[in-house]
Amino acid sequence: MKGLFIISGLGILAMLAEIFKFKKILYPLVLVGILAAYAMTFVDWNPPTDHLSRLDELTASFSNMIRFDQVALAFSGVILVTAFFWFILASHYFENETNITDHFALVLFALVGALMLTSFSNMTTLFLGVEILSIPMYVLAASRKKDIASNEAGFKYLIMGSFASGFLLFGIALVYGATGTFDLGGISHYISNSHGDVPAFFYAGVIMMLIALCFKVSAAPFHFWAPDVYEGSPTVITALMSTVVKTAAFAALMRLFNVGFHHIGDVWGQIMAVVIGLSLVISNITAASQQSVKRMLAYSSISHAAFMLMGVLANKNGFDSISSILYYSLAYSVGSIASFTVLYNVSKDNNGHIEAFNGLSKRNPFLAVCMVVALLSLAGIPVTAGFFAKYFIFTTLIGTPYKWLLGVAVVTSAIGAYYYFKVLIAMYFKPAISTEPVKVEMSHTVLLIITTLFTLAIGIVPGYIIGIFK
Amino acid sequence: MVKLIGLVPLFPLIGFLINGFFGKKMSKGLSGAIASIAILASFIVSLLVFFDLLEHPDTTSHVVSIFSWINSDTLHIPFEFLVDHLSSLFLLIITGIGFLIHIYSIGYMHEDEGFSRFFTYLNLFVFFMLLLVLGNNYLIMFVGWEGVGLCSYLLIGFWFKNTAYNNAAKKAFIMNRIGDLGFLLGIILIFVTYGSISYGDVFGVARGANESTATAIALLLFIGAMGKSAQLPLYTWLPDAMAGPTPVSALIHAATMVTAGIYMVVRSNVFYIMSPAASEVVAVVGVATALFAATIGLFQNDIKKILAYSTVSQLGLMFMGLGAGAYSSSVFHVMTHAFFKALLFLGAGSVIHAMGGEQDIRRMGGLKKALPVTFMTMFLGTLAISGVFGFSGFFSKDEILAHTYEYSPVIWFFGSVTSLLTAFYMFRLMFLTFWGGFRGTHEQEHHLHESPKSMTFPLVVLAILSVVGGLIGLPEFWGAKNWIGEFLEPVATQPLNMLGHDQEIILMSIASVGAIVVIYFAYMVYRKNNVLPLEKESDMKPFQKLVYNKYYVDEVYDFLIRKPLDFISDILSRYVDKKMVDGVVNGVGTAVDGLSSVVRLLQTGNISFYILSMVVGIIAILFYTFIK
Repeated sequence: MKGLFIISGLGILAMLAEIFKFKKILYPLVLVGILAAYAMTFVDWNPPTDHLSRLDELTASFSNMIRFDQVALAFSGVILVTAFFWFILASHYFENETNITDHFALVLFALVGALMLTSFSNMTTLFLGVEILSIPMYVLAASRKKDIASNEAGFKYLIMGSFASGFLLFGIALVYGATGTFDLGGISHYISNSHGDVPAFFYAGVIMMLIALCFKVSAAPFHFWAPDVYEGSPTVITALMSTVVKTAAFAALMRLFNVGFHHIGDVWGQIMAVVIGLSLVISNITAASQQSVKRMLAYSSISHAAFMLMGVLANKNGFDSISSILYYSLAYSVGSIASFTVLYNVSKDNNGHIEAFNGLSKRNPFLAVCMVVALLSLAGIPVTAGFFAKYFIFTTLIGTPYKWLLGVAVVTSAIGAYYYFKVLIAMYFKPAISTEPVKVEMSHTVLLIITTLFTLAIGIVPGYIIGIFK
Repeated sequence: MVKLIGLVPLFPLIGFLINGFFGKKMSKGLSGAIASIAILASFIVSLLVFFDLLEHPDTTSHVVSIFSWINSDTLHIPFEFLVDHLSSLFLLIITGIGFLIHIYSIGYMHEDEGFSRFFTYLNLFVFFMLLLVLGNNYLIMFVGWEGVGLCSYLLIGFWFKNTAYNNAAKKAFIMNRIGDLGFLLGIILIFVTYGSISYGDVFGVARGANESTATAIALLLFIGAMGKSAQLPLYTWLPDAMAGPTPVSALIHAATMVTAGIYMVVRSNVFYIMSPAASEVVAVVGVATALFAATIGLFQNDIKKILAYSTVSQLGLMFMGLGAGAYSSSVFHVMTHAFFKALLFLGAGSVIHAMGGEQDIRRMGGLKKALPVTFMTMFLGTLAISGVFGFSGFFSKDEILAHTYEYSPVIWFFGSVTSLLTAFYMFRLMFLTFWGGFRGTHEQEHHLHESPKSMTFPLVVLAILSVVGGLIGLPEFWGAKNWIGEFLEPVATQPLNMLGHDQEIILMSIASVGAIVVIYFAYMVYRKNNVLPLEKESDMKPFQKLVYNKYYVDEVYDFLIRKPLDFISDILSRYVDKKMVDGVVNGVGTAVDGLSSVVRLLQTGNISFYILSMVVGIIAILFYTFIK
């Protein structure tokens, strides 16, 4: 809760910075603020009343709108760490654009929305969180005002996002109509007391909420916006979308379906399984023939969304896979930040075409090595965090009726390795288009060192993350 | 003191790391000094540990835990060292002789451009060898086992620009892999049977298993020993391994690594005691190898090859002893053999050094004047290996033979013949090398010189050890104390020698007299009558030709194993791999690419299409939910 206050306060400060002329110190202020908010997750970790700390003990007696339990805190922690990394990555973005204080405010408010999505316990706060997160992102996607692709991205994102928000609202209304409450605990209580005797429009409401959130996490067949928006947006904004936004949307999806609707897992489970299967197949197969690394990463993020959805799916009979989802989102976010940092440095001008990576091992071996670790992690190759992320998700799914998804996941992961390795081959075996060395500034070097070591470290000792809720 | 045992392998490891990372930037002197000091430090710690053990005779073994290594469901393998009488003895051999050979190498390798690389490998080898003998379970032994195999490979192919040397290295590696598979299966069988692979756990309950399991374990382990210790039929790599620099031959292929098989069998003696059948196999394979290799040694002309076959033969004698249950006698022989065989190899190295790389004894002769120290020390080593009364080899060999006689007079007979043949070919080598006139080129003669101090010093030390080393195992009927037998008693109980003193004296006399007679015979042939080995193969008698060509064993293996394997692998590569496997893999790739280029067309960029597809998806889902 304290972290949420800090970030909100930072957002307001950012808006005032222009007027009160302290925008020079805004950037360090934001970095410190995010770290402070992160520190607060540790302060709040052990609440005084222990029996309230677990998700499954949410009861109807709770009418809070927001609850920062350990799960919420853990996901907030992932979001805040990723956001901190992202601000280091995006330092140039804030120097080059006009109205930088507005951009700061937009990103910080998006972050507020993200934190709300990790901690809501009421459908009103869910909707608020989604909108607070989404609206700044529409603007940020279009933030390169003179670039037509950026404008197109923002516009598409807005239209499709509003469409999805409509479904979310419609779904909330239907669920409220059936249950008479916005509270997740209340909904869960209602379902377990009704013994299957619920109106059909309740199910329709649940399904619509599922669809809306599948849109937000860009799962097939609601993923069409993602490649266009990711490619059109400025690279750093794409990085923000595929890490912070995605993690937040996942935390929301997990909270809603594993807390509110877990008694009717059969209803949404099969649909989710089909969505996962479709996402895996479409994203990986389409990614295979992409020539733009940025677009390839967009498809790769769809595939990773499917993996995290598997965790939610496996969760329906308990809460054992929360830590696997947490681990996955962390591994994925860190890997993505690293690969976007390399992408940003390698192709400042040609929008991530794979040729820009040709011969990178000669032009800047450091970047190439960091990219190798990041891509191996995204592809799920052992020792890196990505391998254990997939492994933990698989082990939770193995005890459910959806084992067939594992087969799909393994085959599509193999296809996935193909397009990740395409970049590796370009970096190490193709002749460089120019011999000029690629320059990387100090802050990015430090960021890459940290993310690379982090990816290896949590791959070598995954127990610290996996055992976090014990 | 025992707690410091971790330092023993640590020093060579540090030496390896320093030389491996910074060796090229350092001067040769510094590089060699670091490597040698590392081994010397290990030797000093080993000595302290050894005396510690001697002072406390009541505690027979110490387990020193280093760290927890593998922990999974039912498999718990700690990284522990076992310090007991057997391992401490091996520690002394490895570090002591290792140190001398490091010193020697500084002189021998002085001109070589790969100087620091050589010491890097040598230190790594010592590290793995120490791991092998120190481990408290079979897995650590296996790690060391594989590690020394790797170093052996690297050092045989040390002069990697020569294809023949590389082939020799590969041959050694592959032959060893065959044995390693047996060893690994043995370890797995031990784990399956006893649920643990730690020595303490296994040996305590070993007798709970039935005899056939013990036989299987013993034989599988012995297959490993056959590979590493060059026994029939896996011995052919060892003579080829002489491609490596001579100090390597002395350290790895005579004194230490090749005796790892002996160590393993002694360590696992409980299985062999349980299984008389397996012991018999060990004894028969041992004596067959001993005799076989000794006959080949008779007609070789390469000074190192002779010594290599002699090593194979001596290892065979040790296994013969192990099969007969003479565990401590075999360890005794490992020790004396390490002294005199290292000495002989280093002496041969000194000769080769003086001859400018020449290894053929037909081109030598009369070297005793030019190389007095080398000559004297090698002569003492030859007396020792030939089992001349009073020298170290006499006592150890005699002990093995006495036990073997009790076990089976037939095996004893062949063992004795082997030791007589040994005396013959060793003196043949000595007479042809050091006596008579010089047969090399004029240039070589001009160049002859005694080796530097760094090379002769180890020779002198080893020569002293070869002469007096037998004192630690004097025969009991002399009223003396067989120190080594008693020392090893807690590790490997050896059946008491039940032979009467008279019988033992007779056996000993036969061996002594036989050795003298054979040496005289060699003297008559090669010194008095100046017989020289034939130059051309066509002049040889059929049997001699057969032996000269090492019974064509390599050719037979080539025909029976390599050719069929090559044939199968060619077929598999041509049809299964290139056509089927590659076809499937490339087919999948092409299919994905094709599919991909179709599916990506869905991404039209047209927002109404996107929304349409979303709506279709939503309707389909709702339809499915409510129709079901």
